[in-house]
Amino acid sequence: MTGPTQAAGYEARLRDRFGEGVVSVRLLNGNELHLTIRSKEDLPEACTYVHDELKGVLATVVCSDERRISGEFVLRYAFGIGGGEDLFVIVETRIEQGSPGSRPSFPSVALRLQAATLYEREIRDMLGLVPEGHPDERPMVLHEQWPEDIQPLRKDFDIGTKVARVTDRPYEFLKVDGEGVSEIPVGPVHAGIIEPGHFRFSTIGDSIINLETRLYYTHRGVEKLAESMNLDKVLLVSERISGDEAVANSTAYCQAIEKIAGVTPPRRALQVRAVCAEMERVYNHIGTLAGLSTDVGFGYGAARLSILKERMMRLNEEVAGSRLLFGVNRLGGVGVDLSEEKSVRLLGVTDEVLGDFKRVVSVLRSDSSVMDRLRGTGAISSAAALEIGVVGVTARSSGLGIDTRRDHPYGAYRSLRIDPHHDNLQQVTRFQAEMTRRRGDVLARFETRVEEVINSVEIMREVLQDLDSGRELAVPLTRDTLKPYSHALGYAESHRGQTVHWVMIGEDQDSLFRYKVRTASFSNWPAIEAAVLNDIVADFPLVNKSLDLSYAGNDL
Amino acid sequence: MEDKPRDDTKAGSDGRGTGSRSDILGDRVETDRNVLDKNGSAASFRGDVTLSPPSGDSAGDRELLRTARDVCAPKAIGVVEDNEGIHLTLDRGRCIMCGMCQATAPTTFKVQSSYAQPARRLANLVQTQFADLPSVGAIMPIEEIGKQLSEKVKRTLGRSLAIREVDAASCNGCEVEVAALNNPIYDVERFGVHFVASPRHADVLLVTGVCSRNMDLALRRTYDATPDPKIVVAVGACACTGGLFGDTYATSGGISQTVPVDVFVPGCPPRPEAILYGLLLAVDRIG
Repeated sequence: MTGPTQAAGYEARLRDRFGEGVVSVRLLNGNELHLTIRSKEDLPEACTYVHDELKGVLATVVCSDERRISGEFVLRYAFGIGGGEDLFVIVETRIEQGSPGSRPSFPSVALRLQAATLYEREIRDMLGLVPEGHPDERPMVLHEQWPEDIQPLRKDFDIGTKVARVTDRPYEFLKVDGEGVSEIPVGPVHAGIIEPGHFRFSTIGDSIINLETRLYYTHRGVEKLAESMNLDKVLLVSERISGDEAVANSTAYCQAIEKIAGVTPPRRALQVRAVCAEMERVYNHIGTLAGLSTDVGFGYGAARLSILKERMMRLNEEVAGSRLLFGVNRLGGVGVDLSEEKSVRLLGVTDEVLGDFKRVVSVLRSDSSVMDRLRGTGAISSAAALEIGVVGVTARSSGLGIDTRRDHPYGAYRSLRIDPHHDNLQQVTRFQAEMTRRRGDVLARFETRVEEVINSVEIMREVLQDLDSGRELAVPLTRDTLKPYSHALGYAESHRGQTVHWVMIGEDQDSLFRYKVRTASFSNWPAIEAAVLNDIVADFPLVNKSLDLSYAGNDL
Repeated sequence: MEDKPRDDTKAGSDGRGTGSRSDILGDRVETDRNVLDKNGSAASFRGDVTLSPPSGDSAGDRELLRTARDVCAPKAIGVVEDNEGIHLTLDRGRCIMCGMCQATAPTTFKVQSSYAQPARRLANLVQTQFADLPSVGAIMPIEEIGKQLSEKVKRTLGRSLAIREVDAASCNGCEVEVAALNNPIYDVERFGVHFVASPRHADVLLVTGVCSRNMDLALRRTYDATPDPKIVVAVGACACTGGLFGDTYATSGGISQTVPVDVFVPGCPPRPEAILYGLLLAVDRIG
């Protein structure tokens, strides 16, 4: 948690820099420093300052239709400041409704900050605010078959509205011209058992010279849906934002609500959350490694690893009653307990899986036909990773040392060391040197996942050895502690990376006025377009798998 | 292939770590011979929900049932009150197995550790209290499901059943379970069932997800591209009825709004056994 002095330091710097342009600087919820600026015209400058000078990493951008409250739209750009500070700086500005017939607008930040690009397109589609000067004017969330004047996240749009299909809006992919350039369209229905999305390759021979991704086929209206439910039901939705990330997303949601209510779940509940979050990481990482093995045609490794994934999923079921760990979290605590018996069983199975896992990994590492395919493929430089704003395994494999569990510690992670090999400096140095040398290729992401599986099991063991003996699994979360329109950021590190949930409480204190979800996949999807450049088309599935992106988590 | 059972006399790994040191690289059969006898759902698995008569018909009892209806996020519980009392319906096609109804009215709603059985008609997934229900019957072990399936597949389609999986906007939970059918423990290919890359090679479309507006056209085109005779299996609460995501500006309340469905597999997500069971029902449609 940030000390008041640190926050005061940031406040002084912001006031100093923006002077009269500042309406207020307030510290909310312990670690959220809200900078409200007077004029929307200052928005790009303020965001650039927080990014460049305060070393903030764009965590999410939230636009909410608060016309009913204040007569205006509100834009919030939230930046995470790591490096031991645990602070979020949130640049806030109000956007007037504008005269009838003209659309409200704001100056685009994307021109200065690439990471803001997709957020602003999303805002234009979902709320109808125009980011002026934005380099890409095409629709994103709402495909071309939606009419232009639909803004689902505005308050005057009814969730049940059935909008007629239009056919006169074309969608134009970037056209690459030149001799010998051909285009390969792929999807949305793919060849494997995966989610839908469209990829447009421009190639010369086998080499990819441009890739454009087209997503949002799985747009289910998650954020709008959340506004129509009570808080307990939204928890079930949060688990199903991306099914294999149920624990991480529901943890982020719960933490946001708990922050507003000012309650802390019992220590034992926080420990159960952490153990389940690590179980989620383990079964998914093993699944991704199995997928990598499949994609290089090494069925032997894939078969073995998918056996281990299945064992972990059966363990999930024993522990939480669900193979995908649905139902772990409750507002104010957890819904499952780890009895003595369960803990012993959990550690027994996990140990056995880990032993087997290391054996399979050593087979993979000693197979040159596997390693050759991974090495040098799908590289993402740390400069590119930083600019795009990637998170999680992908960021760490490109040499960015970011991890929400450490940078913004929450729950049981406050008292845990989460770095791989943290007890062995020599190994830390060797691993980091290795990652730097790899420059974010598929092999780097392979090795990072292997490390994280081992590390997650260590975390589980550490937590379970010290499991609090308290009987309470949740604290009551009375709704009158949730003031209307109060808001907070919740966050967690899923197996894909940081997931950020911004919630704003509704007027009746048991609903959400606005629920903005930004999963790791949203931050990481643009990286794939950079990663595959100059690789061959046949390597695309491998690169895609190594990034482990969720379509549902992106499309909402 | 390494994953196929090679020696029937050898004991398979129980895959659940019961003490014996495991060696994944060893020459051991990992495939489940009989999943439900030994490795089936854990006792804690939240599966089918069944209805029992409420303990009484006092105002308090009724209030409890109304509360249970209101806590059900996918609106799977129906309450009808008339002169004869209070009547409940439970739509398994919507149920997401969260267990909130049991937490509210534990004498009436019981979460079972067996999975909800797939059905050919959505109406058959609805349980009605006080009416004679079609008996759910004993759940078949996966080996038995697989054997029946493989016989039907042989009879009706020659040797194999080709499936194209289509995600029409699911949360990817159902994909995880469909993909699990291919792991060496379920090893569904031993029953002549295999996944193909194109709808043009498929006998069955296995569709997950609520059918978003953005996927609507792609799903219809995929259906049109599948040669006759073809079968559509809706996997999961979203595909069956819209589930938690319902019928909104972005969703369609289930894939049957877009393509004709032959079999509905309830669950959130359905376990691999349930999906296999759904396929068994599906091939009956051709036979």
